[in-house]
Amino acid sequence: MAYTTFNRNDFDTFAQPMFFGEPVNVARYDQQKHKIFENLIEKQLSFFWRPEEVDLTNDRKDFIDLPEHEKHIFVSNLKYQTLLDSVQGRSPNVALLPVVSLPELETWIETWSFSETIHSRSYTHIVRNIVPNPAVVFDDITKNEHIVRRAISVTEYYDSFIHLANYYTQLGEGTHTINGETVEVTLRELKRRMYLMLVSVNVLEAIRFYVSFACSFAFAERAKMEGNAKIIKLIARDEALHLTGTQHMLQIMARGKDDPDFAVIAEECRDDVVRIFREAAEQEKGWAEYLFKDGSMIGLNKDILCKYVEYITNQRIGALGFDPVFESRNNPLPWINAWLNSDNVQVAPQEAEISSYLVGAIDSEVDTADFGDFDL
Amino acid sequence: MPGAGKTPRVGRRRWVKPKTIYSPAQTELDLPDTNHTQITFDFGDDVPSRPLRTKPVSEDVEQGDLFGFMAESPEPTPQIEFDGMQKPVFEVQFSDGRTARFQHANTLLESLESQDIHIEYQCREGYCGSCRTRLLEGEVHYIEEPMAWIDDDEILPCCCIPKSPLHLQ
Repeated sequence: MAYTTFNRNDFDTFAQPMFFGEPVNVARYDQQKHKIFENLIEKQLSFFWRPEEVDLTNDRKDFIDLPEHEKHIFVSNLKYQTLLDSVQGRSPNVALLPVVSLPELETWIETWSFSETIHSRSYTHIVRNIVPNPAVVFDDITKNEHIVRRAISVTEYYDSFIHLANYYTQLGEGTHTINGETVEVTLRELKRRMYLMLVSVNVLEAIRFYVSFACSFAFAERAKMEGNAKIIKLIARDEALHLTGTQHMLQIMARGKDDPDFAVIAEECRDDVVRIFREAAEQEKGWAEYLFKDGSMIGLNKDILCKYVEYITNQRIGALGFDPVFESRNNPLPWINAWLNSDNVQVAPQEAEISSYLVGAIDSEVDTADFGDFDL
Repeated sequence: MPGAGKTPRVGRRRWVKPKTIYSPAQTELDLPDTNHTQITFDFGDDVPSRPLRTKPVSEDVEQGDLFGFMAESPEPTPQIEFDGMQKPVFEVQFSDGRTARFQHANTLLESLESQDIHIEYQCREGYCGSCRTRLLEGEVHYIEEPMAWIDDDEILPCCCIPKSPLHLQ
């Protein structure tokens, strides 16, 4: 079905499925087929923050003092997160917007993706603070084999869907010959790829991110790189919302509340879902090994991090209605909950001028008056 | 001082200690003790107002403990009681035998935490789904609309209170 930016057909919005129905026309939010996406948009907007609100000047000092193997852990995580958010900042838009059929879902996808661009901007803010030349960190993302390997597994389902969806939006269903190559486009295959793509997105947001989060918070538990941890806390809050969004999409599909085709596909793909979760968990464990190759950090080592990966994988796959993949049942890093708790995050953009009200700020200003009671 | 760096310097100056306006003794007397916040509640004429907290928050026990202490202790203003209406106190039972009593807390999660039953949490606002718990029997009321995906037989303790005795898994 050809994409049009403003569909002039007369149709019943409530009869449309989430995807592959009539292209959206009026961006109206007075009525919603799935109210949850409207709620998610509202919540995400209320979470708005800017990286510059968090003062990182003390982190620079902390970073210089870190031993080499901890610098490696910190910078590698930053590279990985930069990769993940680079993907998330554009892919939901590119993949889902051409085939979305509900205005509230369309806006949720845009809001979701936009907030990922803020995360990307915050990595630049962090990197600028810790190294004199940010290029040494960013340029390595496409060269470092460990990061590149992550990039392949993160993007393969996106790319496979987008590839076929492009043919679908231009040529529709059928067997087409393009540049001498035969391409078969069926809606059924497209929907299958979309379902698997959403599962892999859910894995990205719900498992992959949390390995880096754990490291950032482990530094902050020792009062190191605290500004960074405050930014990560804001990112973690957004990611918790995003993964709720993808869980809802997947569950609406699987329960046949939307498009009956998806219910059948979800049933057929149950083994694939387990495989995607399991593979991702194994990849993240491999990543943990790379992180700690030169030595552990205080409070966190490869084994604990691997157990955490297993624990969080069980949690997330459970939310989709699957049985646990791994044996471990308890959270090996219980202190992380306090860092992930948004109660401790205060956002009030109008108060950004006053340092004491800054979101998660560390006041690094020293005034001469502070030495008033010093005697020389 | 903001802007102090902009004033042009003439020659080198020795740092001179600024004149003290208050003597140390006076300072202690005149200035309010900012480290010790004292919250008082007025209970009327018959009850003398009492300080609730005389320690700085940072010196206090961990926030979780503080939370716990607050959660299941009665508030200074007691619940309004209506004739013939039961006070909303409900027993909460777990299938592994643990029990708790919900009586004063803001949410089920806070109540359970204060009674040493720990449930995973993250957002405490109903959007992350970390505290998802299976409800076997009973009914809950949501103070805030839960946003996380939950099944029909699941509840989010972080944003609900019991409406009846509960049986949880």
